[in-house]
Amino acid sequence: MKTIFQHPPEPENGKKYWRSLDQLAEKPEFNSWLEREFPQGASEFNGDGVSRRNFLKLMGASTALAGIGLSGCRRPELHLVPFTKSVEWAIPGKPLFFATSMPVRRGYIPVILATHDGRPTKVEGNPLHPVSNGGTDGYAQASVLDLYDPDRARFFLVRGGDTGAGAKVFGGGAPPPPFSGGAPLPPSDGGAPLLPFSQSEAAKFDAYLDSLLAGFKSSEGDGLAFLVEENNSPTRERLRGEIAKKYPKTLWSVYEPLGGETAAQADAAAFGAGAQVRPLIDKADVILAIDSDFLGCGDGGVDSVRAFSSRRRVSKPDDKINRLYVVENRYTVTGGMADHRLRIPASHIPAFTQQLAESVAILTGDASLRTLCDSLPKSDAKFTEGWIEETVNDLFAARGKSLVLVGGRQPAAVQLLAHAINAALRSLGKTVVTQAIPGDAAVSTSILELAQAIRDKKVAALFILGGNPVYNAPADLGWATLQQSVPDVVRLGMYEDETSRGAKWHLPAAHYLEAWGDGRSVDGSYVSVQPMVQPLYGGWSELDLLARVAGQPKPQGPELVQETFRAIAKPGDFDAAWNKFLHDGFLAESSAALATPVLDATAATAFLKARATPQTLAGEQQLEVVFVPDNKVYDGRYANNGWMQEMPDPVTRLTWDNAALLSPATARQLGITNTEDKADTLEITLGDNRRIEIAALIAPGHADHSISLPLGYGRGMAGRVCAGAGVNVYPLRTGAQPLVAVGALAKRTGRTYPLAITQQHHSMEGRALFREGTVDQFKEKPDFAQTMWMDAELPAKNPTLYTHPTLDGVHQWGMVVDLNTCTGCNACVIACQAENNTPIVGKEQVISGREMHWMRIDRYFASEDPNDPNPEMVTQPLMCQQCENAPCETVCPVNATVHTEDGLNAMAYNRCIGTRYCANNCPFKVRRFNFFDYNQRPIENHQLYLGPLTKKGTPDTIKMQKNPNVTVRMRGVMEKCTFCVQRIQEAKIAAKVHAGASSDVQIPTDAFKTACQQSCPAEAITFGNIKDPESKVAKLKKEDTRNYRMLAYLNVEPRVSYLARIRNPNMKMPDAKNVGTFEIESKHETKGGAA
Amino acid sequence: MSDAITVAPEERAAVTKVPLVLNNRKTAWITQNISSIVEDKTPFWWWVSFCITAPVALFGVFCIAYQISTGVGVWGENHPVGWAWDITNFVFWIGIGHAGTLISAILFLTRQKWRTSINRAAEAMTLFAVVCAGIFPGIHVGRVWMVWFLAPVPNSYAIWPNFRSPLLWDVFAVSTYFTVSVLFWFTGLVPDLATLRDRAKTPAKKFFFTLLALGWRGSNRQWRHYEMAYLILAGISTPLVLSVHSVVSFDFATSLIPGWHTTIFPPYFVAGAIFGGFAMVLTIMLPARLIYPQLKDMITKQHVDKMAKIILLTGSIVGYAYLMELFVAWYSTNTFEKFTFFHARFSKDGSGYYQWAYWCMMFCNVISPQVFWFKKNRNNLIVVFIVCMFVNAGMWFERFVIIVTSLAQDFTPSMWHHYHPTWVEIWTFIGTFGIFLSLFLLFMRFLPMIAMSEVKIVLPEADPHHTVRNSGVGIEAHH
Repeated sequence: MKTIFQHPPEPENGKKYWRSLDQLAEKPEFNSWLEREFPQGASEFNGDGVSRRNFLKLMGASTALAGIGLSGCRRPELHLVPFTKSVEWAIPGKPLFFATSMPVRRGYIPVILATHDGRPTKVEGNPLHPVSNGGTDGYAQASVLDLYDPDRARFFLVRGGDTGAGAKVFGGGAPPPPFSGGAPLPPSDGGAPLLPFSQSEAAKFDAYLDSLLAGFKSSEGDGLAFLVEENNSPTRERLRGEIAKKYPKTLWSVYEPLGGETAAQADAAAFGAGAQVRPLIDKADVILAIDSDFLGCGDGGVDSVRAFSSRRRVSKPDDKINRLYVVENRYTVTGGMADHRLRIPASHIPAFTQQLAESVAILTGDASLRTLCDSLPKSDAKFTEGWIEETVNDLFAARGKSLVLVGGRQPAAVQLLAHAINAALRSLGKTVVTQAIPGDAAVSTSILELAQAIRDKKVAALFILGGNPVYNAPADLGWATLQQSVPDVVRLGMYEDETSRGAKWHLPAAHYLEAWGDGRSVDGSYVSVQPMVQPLYGGWSELDLLARVAGQPKPQGPELVQETFRAIAKPGDFDAAWNKFLHDGFLAESSAALATPVLDATAATAFLKARATPQTLAGEQQLEVVFVPDNKVYDGRYANNGWMQEMPDPVTRLTWDNAALLSPATARQLGITNTEDKADTLEITLGDNRRIEIAALIAPGHADHSISLPLGYGRGMAGRVCAGAGVNVYPLRTGAQPLVAVGALAKRTGRTYPLAITQQHHSMEGRALFREGTVDQFKEKPDFAQTMWMDAELPAKNPTLYTHPTLDGVHQWGMVVDLNTCTGCNACVIACQAENNTPIVGKEQVISGREMHWMRIDRYFASEDPNDPNPEMVTQPLMCQQCENAPCETVCPVNATVHTEDGLNAMAYNRCIGTRYCANNCPFKVRRFNFFDYNQRPIENHQLYLGPLTKKGTPDTIKMQKNPNVTVRMRGVMEKCTFCVQRIQEAKIAAKVHAGASSDVQIPTDAFKTACQQSCPAEAITFGNIKDPESKVAKLKKEDTRNYRMLAYLNVEPRVSYLARIRNPNMKMPDAKNVGTFEIESKHETKGGAA
Repeated sequence: MSDAITVAPEERAAVTKVPLVLNNRKTAWITQNISSIVEDKTPFWWWVSFCITAPVALFGVFCIAYQISTGVGVWGENHPVGWAWDITNFVFWIGIGHAGTLISAILFLTRQKWRTSINRAAEAMTLFAVVCAGIFPGIHVGRVWMVWFLAPVPNSYAIWPNFRSPLLWDVFAVSTYFTVSVLFWFTGLVPDLATLRDRAKTPAKKFFFTLLALGWRGSNRQWRHYEMAYLILAGISTPLVLSVHSVVSFDFATSLIPGWHTTIFPPYFVAGAIFGGFAMVLTIMLPARLIYPQLKDMITKQHVDKMAKIILLTGSIVGYAYLMELFVAWYSTNTFEKFTFFHARFSKDGSGYYQWAYWCMMFCNVISPQVFWFKKNRNNLIVVFIVCMFVNAGMWFERFVIIVTSLAQDFTPSMWHHYHPTWVEIWTFIGTFGIFLSLFLLFMRFLPMIAMSEVKIVLPEADPHHTVRNSGVGIEAHH
């Protein structure tokens, strides 16, 4: 076997050095390689001096694949370039950037990975791709930590094992360990344990697979079944087709606990088979979101946040902004952005939509909508008087530019009705379009049908690829038992989790950063997935396994994807096209064509009629439970990610747990109280015997008689991070009512449960920290935000006793945060954590108030009446304000925090002795103290308190994630936001190198971004040189009259300022007078939460 | 004073009827009874006391070692409450350390002769209190092994301490105070150490006291130098009494946190320190009189009465300061000040979490000393002792209220977080009491706890005008 490394092209002039024996020998392979390398890269490199980054991305991407086209007389073993024998252009200490895409439920997110010395360390959005445009969500930011998770599955496990020497079998009474770490894995049914193979023995799986598949050859795959997650990878589709060709009777099931099939059904019923509706949020002037968290983790993505925020950006009072109406049962980030919000139980949403449709039908006189409405039984549910009428009037007034969205949680009929409303409002083709994504439209079965097949003994071998049905399948299926009744279950999973324990074989799965793949983004464009590292634990990707089943050898490289690429891109010059595909991360102009849909009224009516069932509404007598995705762990798939676990929920600020959310009124009715870190627990019973006990958290703005249960928690066995966090609510779910169920019984148990909530006070206490106004206010008084509250009496320049050193460096860093576009999604918080090596501290430390996030999102509730059940919610990101007149600096006795000439409030960790005086004197409370050695000591089970008695050190893989340009802090030192000083320095060094002997050391305008700024899909954060009049940040600070500084009266002169939020209320709405009034001291605000 | 001499004898008797030393004790009796504490067998109650205080002190040391080895996190501090019991205890002990120097220096300069029988013990108490105080700023930092950064040592990086930081001023103020207090205390000890040297019966004691007595022979020349040195040290110490606690108060006053940012702090802190210091002197002296009954003739009810009056005065100053804080907060119309001083202390909603501490402080420091308006109470040692205990607690609460409640709810409500102490910091605090009391017990046992030479000077016999007829009535009492 020989290993092939690749080299960059020759310089155009200068001395010639030979770089390898191949070159010296003038081998034809080498020469041909030289000729064809980097055609487009060369042009980019020559043309633009600043695109060092692009250059590196390109070089990296190309090199990673370079071995592919080459073949010697022996089959080469393909490696990613090992760092120890690297190629010349890899400069130690300089990161390389590679494009790839992260698979998520709604389609792949195009991302760029920063890799340091061969280790991917930081995910960033792909700025070339319109869906991301550089932004990401928190999940994408955190995904790099999953790659290095030491709890990931590392071994091929087989039930019973080959009982080779040294294999230990667990005793019966011992509790199952959170992960096996190579020890035998006790199965869920108490049978023989799953025993590990060493990597070299993985070939045994090959043998097993061959013999298993041999049995299906004759039966055409009868009895062969696959259970997979939603994934639109064309290569997966292709392999599925190949398997189907070989084994035509194969059962192919797709299961997602959060559903998703209802949207497809509604789209098909309304607009014909294959149509996929795509709302154009940026084209809409008036949006009504009905149970649709399109800005958050439910139905949203970076694309919808981007589209929405593009219509929310204002700079002058006469700028037009959109208007958002939200109807939902619990506060979501979408609700927080709403101009008008109606809180109703999720089970009332169908009735609401129906009444809305009727109003629209009357107003527009639309015949199809009329027919649809008439086909439904009349609804007599009551909603706030005037709400529907005025909303409809507004939608009607903006017809053609209005948009009604219904969330995927709602039944297909409700979503269909929304399509019809949009049609009646003449939005089709304007704000609602369809896209046809090419691909195999083979029909998949649901997990319910698969379960039936298993019950009928029709399944002999089941491949479970990803997912975790034992944990998240509908409870009434009894999946764990069903799975055990299948003789051969092969599981491919990232963790040795619940499902693995009931399988015959468990295979470690490769992370998306370790595997080749492809997929489609939400706009249908074809995106690439390429590995950043060799699989750390020898994991297989889904494609690897499918290829093996399809009868091919396990791929060594991108062959499978290349084959698909060839079919989709039909490239003239394959190598060039392929390299560009990898370099860009997507295939140019591959996004799906948009079509103007036409409502098929007949089909829609038939569809509605077939589904018109009497609705049960939640009420005083019967509560509803709503299963919602968790903002931290989604449906459980990110559960073992410490960053996500410790990320405060954008609405409840809860970390490390889920809790039943209920309104203050429902809480009173159930006798639930919350104290600052403890909550009463509820026993929730649904049906006859489905019962859970969960902490109840009082959530202002929640609908009465409704309980929201976030999914994804209560994972005992999938890793050390998620062990013991939260409560599993999946046992309440049935196949028939997977997302909303009415008729739950809840009663207080009398027990309490500790909850780690990072924000305990929900009122701003009349302090105008967050400022907002309405469009009218803004027009009337453009500088309302600057003259509000105490700022009204501020002198133009506050006198000062000290003479401060002048800040006269070339660069003066500053930041502006636009509160009008910030949704509070937390992507920036995780980006900051990833960039700056911020540790997680664990639940118990969060309860103690010691979370380490350098930036936080403050969330406040407000209303005129303290008992208003529907208060406004606002979110405000807060990082170090980099005060020019910093109060932290004067008090530090050892000069550990000082000012730099470019206006940064710098922190010298080496000098810090940890008096904490700076944190005390910080009015924004953004400084974070290392109370323990969070990076060195285990954080679970109070082990931090054992100090030197615990094991010291970080798992090697976790070390690999760290950003080498940022110090990992020890205990006893203070830390805080640095404005990503490492990025500033990098840019400065580049500018100085470029300047050479000249004195032009100024960094080009807006040449780089801070981590938070870069991750923000709403582009709410602007950072730059305020001394440079051309920079965006300088312009915003100077020209935008909404610009204000927090606590300006303290004269600390913060370098961070905020742009006040502008709400756009419809003055005819019943609640209009309460909108956008969140600041005045005389107004009383709700205390929320803890009563 | 010339007018004193012209006063008629019967009037004179009327104003000087209470002698400083009761029962007409003579110099020999004083020497014998004070020296005997050092020379005689250790009394039973001393052992009982020491067997309680020493283990407590050791456990406190263990808590400190645990905290240093494991991290500040073993305490209950958090974001935003970066300082809690650590700095509360520091200020509490530093405050206690004020009475000693005040008694020794200021009362010396103002010729208050009643100071003589309590000044030695009060000075020792000061030193031990400052020792206890010094523990906290040392150990509360995150990286104890780096505290030498606080010292203005020129190093290779040319980084000096930050001279703008009040915490650095603290370092200088406290260390100066401690040094001067030690010198002052030791200077006063020299004549008595010589007495003990002369009375020593074993060679070890003889050697020990000889070493400490620095060759004191009691010559006229030595007395002359001694008194001059003592006067100079008193002069140096006097401004320190005012400066130390003023500087400590700057930690808070120069910051911008509502509840800290208050110009009234320096005088208010000094008054509070004297208030708490005197209460602690009484807290210690009253039981000491029980263990060593012979002290009752020297530490008389007259002393207790005078100290109670000082407590009443300083307590009232402190009370005035508390009310003035409220006034200023109201007058400023500043939202944040008003919240800290009114909402957090008087409202019934969740933001009044620490109200109980505030009202504890108000009762202990302002209400309880008011009983001292009545002589009957001042002369009832049990009442005095109880009030002193209240004052001790109240002064601790005062610092707790200032530090913790201000930090827990400052500018940004999103970061408000309550603070709860852990066993480690509770026991560290209790441990400092162990250290303090153990040191004091050792001091009582091994050094003359009353300044023999000075008490003898205030005896009637020491007065050149002393006559047998006027025995026990010292003219010097109103010098």
